[in-house]
Order: sequence, then structure tokens, then C-alpha cells
Amino acid sequence: MMSRTGRRLVAALFLSVSPTVRLAAQDSQFSVRGLGVPGRWESVRARTTGGAFGPFDPRSSVADVSLVDALQLTATAVEATTYRRAEIGGSRDDLRSSRFPFMSLAGPLSRRFVVGGGFATYLDRTYSIVTRDSQMLRGAYAPYSDRVGSDGAVADLRVAAAARLASWIAIGTGAHVLSGSSRQTAQRIYDDTTFLGTTQTAMVRYDGFGISGSVALDPVRSVRIVGYARSDNRLRTRLGDTETDRVDLPTTLGAALRWSPSPSARVAGAVAWRSWSDAGGFNTTSWSAGAEVGAGPTPFRLGVRGGQLPFGPGTAAPTEFGVTLGTGKGFSGNRALVDLGLERLVRKGGGLTETAWTVLVGLTIRP
Amino acid sequence: MRRVALAALAAVTACTEDVTAPGHCPDFCPSGSITGVDTVLQTVVQRDSAFRGFVRPHEASSLLATNLPGVIDSRAIFLTLPIGDSLVVESGTGARGQIVGVDSLKLSVTITRRDTSAHNLTLVYYRLPLDLDSTKTFADLAGAWTGTDSLRSLNVDSVYALAGHVDLLRGDSVFVDTLTNRVTVIAKLDSASAPYVVADSGKAAFGVKVVADSRASIALGSVEAGLGPLLTWFAEADSVAKDTVPRSSTVGVRFDSFVFDLLSPSVDTTLDSTLAVGGMPVARSIMRFALPRLIRDSVQISRATLVLVTARPPEGVPADSFTLSAHGVLADFSAKSPLSPDPSRVATTRVHIGIARGDTVRIEMADILRSWQVDTLAPTTLALRQVPEGTEFPEIRFEPSTNVALAPALHVTYVRRFPFGKP
Repeated sequence: MMSRTGRRLVAALFLSVSPTVRLAAQDSQFSVRGLGVPGRWESVRARTTGGAFGPFDPRSSVADVSLVDALQLTATAVEATTYRRAEIGGSRDDLRSSRFPFMSLAGPLSRRFVVGGGFATYLDRTYSIVTRDSQMLRGAYAPYSDRVGSDGAVADLRVAAAARLASWIAIGTGAHVLSGSSRQTAQRIYDDTTFLGTTQTAMVRYDGFGISGSVALDPVRSVRIVGYARSDNRLRTRLGDTETDRVDLPTTLGAALRWSPSPSARVAGAVAWRSWSDAGGFNTTSWSAGAEVGAGPTPFRLGVRGGQLPFGPGTAAPTEFGVTLGTGKGFSGNRALVDLGLERLVRKGGGLTETAWTVLVGLTIRP
Repeated sequence: MRRVALAALAAVTACTEDVTAPGHCPDFCPSGSITGVDTVLQTVVQRDSAFRGFVRPHEASSLLATNLPGVIDSRAIFLTLPIGDSLVVESGTGARGQIVGVDSLKLSVTITRRDTSAHNLTLVYYRLPLDLDSTKTFADLAGAWTGTDSLRSLNVDSVYALAGHVDLLRGDSVFVDTLTNRVTVIAKLDSASAPYVVADSGKAAFGVKVVADSRASIALGSVEAGLGPLLTWFAEADSVAKDTVPRSSTVGVRFDSFVFDLLSPSVDTTLDSTLAVGGMPVARSIMRFALPRLIRDSVQISRATLVLVTARPPEGVPADSFTLSAHGVLADFSAKSPLSPDPSRVATTRVHIGIARGDTVRIEMADILRSWQVDTLAPTTLALRQVPEGTEFPEIRFEPSTNVALAPALHVTYVRRFPFGKP
């Protein structure tokens, strides 16, 4: 017989892999070309350390082995509201959006074996572009506005497990179903109303599959080293029953180091490489460093991150740099945790500079 | 302080959405783009034909009276209902008294359309034989239209110019409905010109001719439009208590129509290969479209203009300008094709008198094309017709599809299908 906790976990896992909310992590003008902007598989706690704590955080899904630290049933959700500014060619546009990019669930089946799952944004496919132009129609130029938009994302639905093999080593593995859709719109409105406006819409669906594995080593009590890898096979794009596109997806390799000099202070650094050239983009290397201070229910976190984006114009990958800080608050004997964060992000590439403030709210429940 | 902080947090994390930004192409635009196409489909109408007889004069909603020398001479005719041989003399008991004589009559007609530039617009009333029916032609009634047979005439402009629009001397009056611009003309007839004939039970038949300094063309309301002529008899009825008492009775018409003489050879009603619309009896033309599959299935229509070249222009006065309608059909049964009640399958334009041969008439029919795209089982057939039918004499004819150089064409502006699903 499955234990009560096990039954709860299975039920919760089932529910969590059927997301109904909008998944996009963070909209970006860099998602217009290529497959989109990769999402973050991090809880608010990990994200406010620049992502450096991601491979160690049982509430994040960066490295499956981190589940091994989920010693009780834990559910986490993230809400992100982004205020974004895109500047290019002397023009400036202020944009904003709210998203629910991440949810995870984890719990132990035994003292040494933990399972978990959830969903995260794999690729964000949300944008809306308006252009002005004119066309010679019936002997005169007819000005018009075109709006081409996409609203959706590719979600990463994960089921993972981790096991502690010994006091100094743990392993984890996961399976990832990539699934999602975007509602795409192409609209043309002529200034001359004798020409009727046209609106075309289509629901484009995506699917793919991936596997991941990771290992955590604790050579000394205060240090943990995590190595992880992930391979996604391909992203298939369907319009109705017709396959319109198929691209290979990248392999991800990453490593991270965490040092806990005292019970109330932790620092970590991480680096990851992804072979996005398989998908027609640029290979990317991203890094992050962060710290968490305070062992109680109200820690303080900060971090910094940098790296590249896989898709953009020109011959060089767009770059990304971000600074984060955050805190958290426990309630009801730490059965409920609220994490708050603020992220400042700068993305540059192809003449476009995109800056964003993102307010992060995370909710963790340990029933 | 904590509440303020919570409120601020709620405000900045509240659901919000504005992701629309100007595009900077091609670097930050999708790989696919919206492509607009503007093209003229010259051979899209592949079978067409004209038919006549959809509305005959006695079915029309107007009684056309026109006097355009050298073009057309048309006169309204109508037969009134009988009033019988007696009238109610005591309303309390309902007792009736024999009609022993008629003092006068008032004949009321409604002008529903006229040319406002026609001066000295005059109605001339004729007494006609009582055997009016739908077979009567202008020639059949030729004997009744002589000048000596006219009962009287009424100058509408003159009466309207009088105080109160009433001619106190002759008993005529004119009323103008400023909302509908209809003109009601009431003419007084004496018993000598329109006697009560017992044997006819008070039936009377009249004809109305119109004359004016120029542009004498009007439409009178008909029974079909609910605006038929009315005749009021002012009679003397026999009474038990007195010798006679004056009583009146108003009757409508049993039959109304108009007869006409087409004087101009250019208004010949014989159909040929051209696409005739309007005229009398009313003609329609059926046009069948062979749309390319691209247009039918894959594109979005921004504008579609049916371009028709005039083969024979309509003749008449400016007020005879009419609405030309391209009307979708429910099923293609040629001349008997039932018209679609769906307003999205109707496109109209105004045809003005003065259009010349070779001029183009354009009908915007994007909605019709869009409806054909939605309903792929709908016949791609249009009926060209006058709206409303039977209220105008002018007839326009267009070049048919067999005239390759001047055939009906469809000028279409559309947007190709967007390449969704491409990165």
C-alpha cells in the first residue's frame, strides 16, 4: 500500500502536470525571431540568488538531484510581473505582463528517495509587433497597420526522482514532456476603411521530449558540487494536423558549487552551457553567483547573472545581465513560505536594448 | 506601514498585459509577413443572362406617371371599389338610405417620388372604362386619353403655393409630409365629371397623366405599398325623416396599375445578350462567378469590387436614378433563383441618370465574397436587380461576359494566408 504522503504526492503531481495558467516566463522582443526565449526553471528563492542556487534548490527544477533535500511534501508556485522597456533606433516602448512561469511539487517516498514534478516555461513565445507601411492599391498608396502576435509558450512538464546513495553522493533523473501552444494572430488594418481589415488566427502546437540526470557530491560538510545534464530531442510544431516545423533542441550541461561557511550563510555559483546551435541559434553559456544570508524564516538573498540568449539578429548572440535580490517570510511554523524578489535585467543585441524590472512572488506550501 | 507595503506589492504584482510594440524589421519581426494582393479577375464571370418579367405594372409598389417626350409616356390607372347603392343615414340604428345623388367627389393620390426641379407639375385626371385589368395596354386605352376626355387638371405647384396649400375656389389641396417627402394631392371632382351610376354601384375608374415644364416623372403610391388612391363620395341619401341627407363614403381601389408607351427605340424591352436590369416589366440579370480556389479557400478579402461596363445607359430624369443591387441567391435556378434573405449577401450602388455608354458601374461586394468563403456550399451566383423593383422606368444594360474586352470583372484586394507555425 502506498503511504498517505505518497498518495497525496501522486495526486498533486497529476494535477501539477496539467497547467491551465499562462506559463510564459518573461516576454521579450528577442522571442520574436527563432524559437523564443528560454524560460527559467527556478523558484523565487533560486531566482533571487541570480539562479546560482537553482541546482541546489529542491523547489527548482534545474537539477533533479536537488529533490533529495525535499524532506517533506512541498508545493511551490511563482508569479512574475515584468515592467519592460525596449529601445531600438531611438524609439522606446514600455511594456508589461504578468505570468505564472513555474510550479513544482516534491515529496519523499522514503528517507532516501524523493519524487517530484511540475511545470516550467521551456520557451516563451509571447510577443506582439505592430508595423506601419503602405501599398499601392487601385492607383493610390493605401497606408496600413500590421499586427503580428503570438501568445503562448512551450511548457516543460517534468517528472523526476532523486536518491541519496550515501552521505556524500546523491543522484537524480527526470523525464520532460515539452508541450505547449501559442495563439498566433496576423492582422492588417487599412487606414482607408473602404478596405476591410483582415484578421487571421491560428493555434500552433508544440511538442517534444527530454531527459535529464544529475549528481550531487558533498566532499565536505559545507560544500556541495552539482553536475547536471539534459538532452531534449526536438521541438515539433503543428498547425492543426500538419507539421509545419521541426527543430532539434539543445543539450544542456551545467555545474554548480555551493559553500555554506555557517548555518546562516550560503554562497553559490553556477554555470551552464546549452547547444542552441542545434536549433539554429547561438550556443549559450550562462553563469550566476548568489548568496543567502539568514537561517531563520526571513533570509536575505542577492545574486547576479549573465550570459547569452540563443536567438537574435546578426552574427553574435544577444547578451543578458541581471541583478536580483529578495527575501522570504515563513508562516504557520514555516508550513507556508512567501518569497519576494526583485530582478533587474538588461538584454542587448542587434541594436535592441531591453531592460526590465520583474517583481517575483513565490508561494510555498508544506502541508 | 505593513498595509501600505502590502498594497504596493499587490499593485505591482497585479495581472497586467501590454506586450504590443512597434516592430523593427527585419531584425525584430517574425519571419513571415502579411502579404496584400490587388488584382483584377477579368474572366471571373463565366455565364450570365438576363430575364424579364419579375414585376409587372399591376404588381408594382408605385404607379408610374411619366411624360418624357421622345422617351416614354406612362399613366397611372386605377379602379375604385364600389360604394353600393345606399349609405348609412342613422348611425344609431344603422338604417341605410338609398343614394339619390352625388354632390361631389375628392380623389386623393400620393406622390412618392418626383423631380423637385420639375416646375408646374400638373396632374391630369381622366375617366376610364370600368373594365380595367392587368391586360390593358396604353394602346387599349388610347381612346380615353384624348384631351377632351380629361376630367380636369390640378397644378400641384400652384396649389401648394396657396395659403394653407388649399385652393378654396376649386376645393383642391396639397399636403407634404416633411418626413417622407411624400406629397398627397386631393382633387375635387364634381358630379358632372364623375357621376354616380347606380348600375355600377359607384365604381369608378380613373387615369392620371403628369405634365410639367420639364422632367415630368413621378411615382404614385399603390395598393401594394399601402398608399393606394382613395376616392371620397359626397352623396345625397334618401332618409325617412327628411327627404335627403348628405353622407360621405371613402373607398380605396380594387385594381391599380399603369400603362406606358415606350417612345424611344433605345428603351426597347427586347432582351439581347447584354445584362439588363430594371425597366418595365422588370428585368434581372443572373451572373455566375467561377472564383479561383485561392480566393474561395485561402485568402481574406479586404475589398472586392464588381466592375460593370454600361452597354446601354438608363434614360429618364435625375429623380429616376435608382439603386442597383447585386443579390446573392439561395439556389441557382436561373431566372427563378430565390434571393438570399441574408443581408450580408447583398451589395448595392446608386445608378444615376446621365451615365453614358462605356461608363463603369462599381459594386462593392466584399461581404458577399466573404460569405461565399464561409458557406462553401452557397452558389456563387448573383442576381443584378433594381431596388425596389417596379418603381422606376429606367433600365440599364451592362456588357456581358461574352464581350471579352468589356466583360464584368472583379477587382479584388486580399491578404494571403499568413505562414503560421514557422519560427
